[in-house]
Amino acid sequence: MEVVTLIREGSVARLNFSRSDKPVNVLDEFCMEQLEAHLELLEKDSPEVLILESGLPGCFIAGADLTLIQSVKDSEVATRLAERGQAVCRRIELLSTVSIAVVDGACMGGGLELAMGCDYIVAVHGKKTSIGLPEIKIGIHPGFGGCVRLPKRIGWPKAIEMIMTGRPVDAKRAKRIGLVQLTCYPEQVEGAINHFAGRGKADRKKVNPWWFHLWPIRKFFFYKVREKALARFKHLDIEEAYPSVPGAIDLLEDIFGMSDGLAYEREAESLGKFAVTPTCKNLIRVFFLGESLKKQEMVKKGKPAARELQRTSVYGAGAMGSGIAWVATRSGEVDIHDLSEDALGHGLRNLSQLAKRNPERFQKIRPAVGNSGLASADVVIEAVLENIDIKKQLWAGIESEVRKDTLLLTNTSSLSVSDQQADLKHPGRLAGLHFFNPAPKMPLVEVVAGSKSTKKSVQTVAALAAGWGKYPVIVSDTPGFLVNRCLMPFMSAALRLLESGQKLEHIDGALKNFGMPMGAIELADRVGLDICHHVGAHLSESFGARMGMPAWFDQMVEDGLLGIKSGEGFYLYEDEKRKGINESLSNYLVGQKSTEREFDANLSADQGQVMTDEEVVNRALVPMLIEALTCLSEGVVDSAEHLDAAMVYGIGFPPFRGGLLNHFSGYEEQKLKDIITSLGMDVPENLEVLYE
Amino acid sequence: MASKISSREVVIVSGIRTPMGKMGGCFDGMHAVDLGMHALRELLARSPLTRDDIDSVIVGNVIQPSEATNISRVISLQAGIPRRVPAHTVHRNCASGMQAVTDAAEKILAGRADVVVAGGVESMTHAPLLFHDRFRAAMAKLQRARSVQQRAKAVLGVVKAPWKPRVALMEGLTDPVANLNMGQTAEILAREFSISRKAQDEFSLQSHQRAAKSWQDEWFNDEVMHLFAPPRFTPVHRDEGVRSEQSMEALARLRPAFEKPLGTVTAGNSSQITDGAAMLLLSHREKAESEGWPILGYLHDWAYTGCDPARMGLGPVFASNTLLSRYGLSAGDMARVEINEAFAAQVLACLKAMDSKQFSVKQFGGKSAIGAPDMETLNVHGGAIAMGHPVGMTGARMVLTTLRQLKHDTGGGLGLATLCIGGGQGGAVLLGSEPWKS
Repeated sequence: MEVVTLIREGSVARLNFSRSDKPVNVLDEFCMEQLEAHLELLEKDSPEVLILESGLPGCFIAGADLTLIQSVKDSEVATRLAERGQAVCRRIELLSTVSIAVVDGACMGGGLELAMGCDYIVAVHGKKTSIGLPEIKIGIHPGFGGCVRLPKRIGWPKAIEMIMTGRPVDAKRAKRIGLVQLTCYPEQVEGAINHFAGRGKADRKKVNPWWFHLWPIRKFFFYKVREKALARFKHLDIEEAYPSVPGAIDLLEDIFGMSDGLAYEREAESLGKFAVTPTCKNLIRVFFLGESLKKQEMVKKGKPAARELQRTSVYGAGAMGSGIAWVATRSGEVDIHDLSEDALGHGLRNLSQLAKRNPERFQKIRPAVGNSGLASADVVIEAVLENIDIKKQLWAGIESEVRKDTLLLTNTSSLSVSDQQADLKHPGRLAGLHFFNPAPKMPLVEVVAGSKSTKKSVQTVAALAAGWGKYPVIVSDTPGFLVNRCLMPFMSAALRLLESGQKLEHIDGALKNFGMPMGAIELADRVGLDICHHVGAHLSESFGARMGMPAWFDQMVEDGLLGIKSGEGFYLYEDEKRKGINESLSNYLVGQKSTEREFDANLSADQGQVMTDEEVVNRALVPMLIEALTCLSEGVVDSAEHLDAAMVYGIGFPPFRGGLLNHFSGYEEQKLKDIITSLGMDVPENLEVLYE
Repeated sequence: MASKISSREVVIVSGIRTPMGKMGGCFDGMHAVDLGMHALRELLARSPLTRDDIDSVIVGNVIQPSEATNISRVISLQAGIPRRVPAHTVHRNCASGMQAVTDAAEKILAGRADVVVAGGVESMTHAPLLFHDRFRAAMAKLQRARSVQQRAKAVLGVVKAPWKPRVALMEGLTDPVANLNMGQTAEILAREFSISRKAQDEFSLQSHQRAAKSWQDEWFNDEVMHLFAPPRFTPVHRDEGVRSEQSMEALARLRPAFEKPLGTVTAGNSSQITDGAAMLLLSHREKAESEGWPILGYLHDWAYTGCDPARMGLGPVFASNTLLSRYGLSAGDMARVEINEAFAAQVLACLKAMDSKQFSVKQFGGKSAIGAPDMETLNVHGGAIAMGHPVGMTGARMVLTTLRQLKHDTGGGLGLATLCIGGGQGGAVLLGSEPWKS
């Protein structure tokens, strides 16, 4: 199969990238081989003008082959791969031909590096035209010469930013920063080519800011870059978690001032080192997990119907409701309803920061005191009080105002979707769409099918959520669905560690060090102790004591220690910022030893001994693992892949560890079984899922 | 009579308005376009029509912001009305909102449209400051200058030109032909009709008391939508200007605003400078009934007349007379009357003129006074002195509020909404809650 074709038209040659097996062009083995063969021909018989273009709409070249990178085990082999890519780019650069890359669509990673080997890049205006170097997001850095060529084109400060953030630019911005020499519309491409054809080889000397040449200022600049890049990972051991972040900065600092030959060598060697790290493999895995959610069958099937849904009505202007309204503006106009005008004002204020950045999107939101506008709603989402009677009453009132095909979605986290369907005239169009707080930022949503929800409705909801930029995981209508249900044993276990004498900072610190976005106990504060208590009670009704909160926890709730919302919980808060540990905790923890706990026998043995970080983490995460596997065997979620994706995108399980199941699959099976039993828990029957 | 021009009867299906905010007050963060857009969106959300039913959008606006040329079109597109629906802006000073409504009616009667959105918007807060024309000329010279010498000379010209800004708001409220601002015309009427300071203050107090009571009794709740004004998005429902604690003492403390020290017209007995928007949906009876749309009321007829610009406040007298005499009616036959309270002196002057046989003889060749409305049927829920007069909005607001009074207060009958217009005009609309019975 030809994936890159060499076409000669007189003195003009075109390298046309196009393939039928994938929707995007990638620089895989096929491509590289054919490209090298074509380059040989071009080197022997050089045309006057060489054009690099793509035959696939919406895509120039999307990058290197991720599966290949994921499978490489030897850093030597990875270095060779990088050198191969560098060579191809270099050969294009060295041709005596005037080379022009016509970028219409995604031009990422290796694709951009290839384009930079050309004299000129023309970017075609379009929604899909996106140019960038995202390698840092999969735990490596550009390795086909991008670290050397990009700074030459756009200057070191901007190049460092693009490489370290991985953020792409559109055609307009690419022209502004000097990455591309011309932008045009699709009809103007031939004109653009002619514009450059006569110009001859480009003389590219990017002027850096004057201060970059002064060593002390440059040193300070790189110091600031490191500071900014590492600020996000304060609690992690960055060399273990994301080694390519400091590694890329070191590489870039070394390359400055190096001759090209040495710079390429250094880049290839560095790539070889990082491409074989577990982080790289895991981040690629996580990327595929996300894709598995976004591109699942249900989403694909629901896309045509989802595209028709343009008007959304959201009920409830609280934190969730206002966030959901913002998300929904992605597809059209949104009405946000609340009985209270003050609540509406508050909800809109919540969105002020987002409104400032994107006023057109904010303008799509209409605040409505009352029920107006339902007749034209395509989707109604409710985020009102977690009370089944209130929700049922709400749906009954709404159903009489909307069309019979209008989708009704509930954001409930603890009530049954099927219950809400019970009294409706058209129950098939009601489903659950559970967002996480804050809705605009958190990528995962749980799509819940009620007992009467039609398959079409569920598909449409999943596709709608995907269209809103979310990762939809389809789960069954069981208490806690998937994410909250797995979180509770985690939180519960951490609380018992606290109870047994481990220090609060130690528990949360170990978890953060492990890579969790926040400690389990800080999470409890953030969610709200009252909500944790409520959810815990609700879930333990169905699933047993492992879900419940200890008695002293309930006492804290009764005494008004609710976490962030009340200014004090396990920690103290001022203006929602953590200010220290709540000293009055000792009132609740001293002498609190319930005798009804499952693993009490083990805890009393460790009383007073400080556990290692690994022990703390396992104590908290193993219950989460077991609950997750139980959910899988019960069919709450349909595949291990989707489950792990939900753990990463919903719970925030550290991506560099590749997911909850992936992490534990690193333990040898027997060892894992021993750990589980030593914690007093039963080995789940489907443990072998980890080792498939 | 409407049925003489056409067999159609113009109806108002529904209407909504925003609260009126004081200049620089709660709506300081919103522009006229925003006010209009929110009102129009709300109107559509509360009406049984869809956007596709609309044939045309007409909006009245006086200040006409330069960054939203043809503000009606901008509002229409931003509110999500389909691109194929045409929109235009109208201007008849203080009656711009009324002009939009009567133009819509005219279109419907002529068979050129079936459903028209008509409204008025104004943000007096955002009335601009302008450069003197000599400054503009100096800047234009600078732009044309090419050589260093020319540029130096031109820069000097700019420096020497008058820099003091012109206040568009003040200019807009000044009649260039009579060379008087609106307040000064009211002073003329106060003198000529012997309307005392005390009488003006009493009328103003009544306006505040009536408005305050109506708000308290929730009479305006369905007429007025909630707005959430940036940057804090605090909800606003009540008209900001209404003072429930207004008193004669407080009014007496104010100094004359337009003619010091002997004038009688003060800020307290004049309409307040405010921001707001009002939108109405017009159609004709046959269409509304066949579609099953509710009917708020009927627009039977209207009239615009011209009068002396220096005494523009008497505009309502001429316009109402022209309109009502067509049907052999007088103000006394109206169940409710709204005369816009541009100034207390002006309203009171109108009442005196309407009650004066001499005035009727001289102006209309009549045999007796044309008749004034009773204070019990006039501006029953307060007026512009208490609530505000966003100049482009008021005309539309008055139609809406009069219709609501006929529907909710009087159980039927006829209504008259009339206002004085800067430049020496008057506008009047005859409304009813039932179809015309001739």
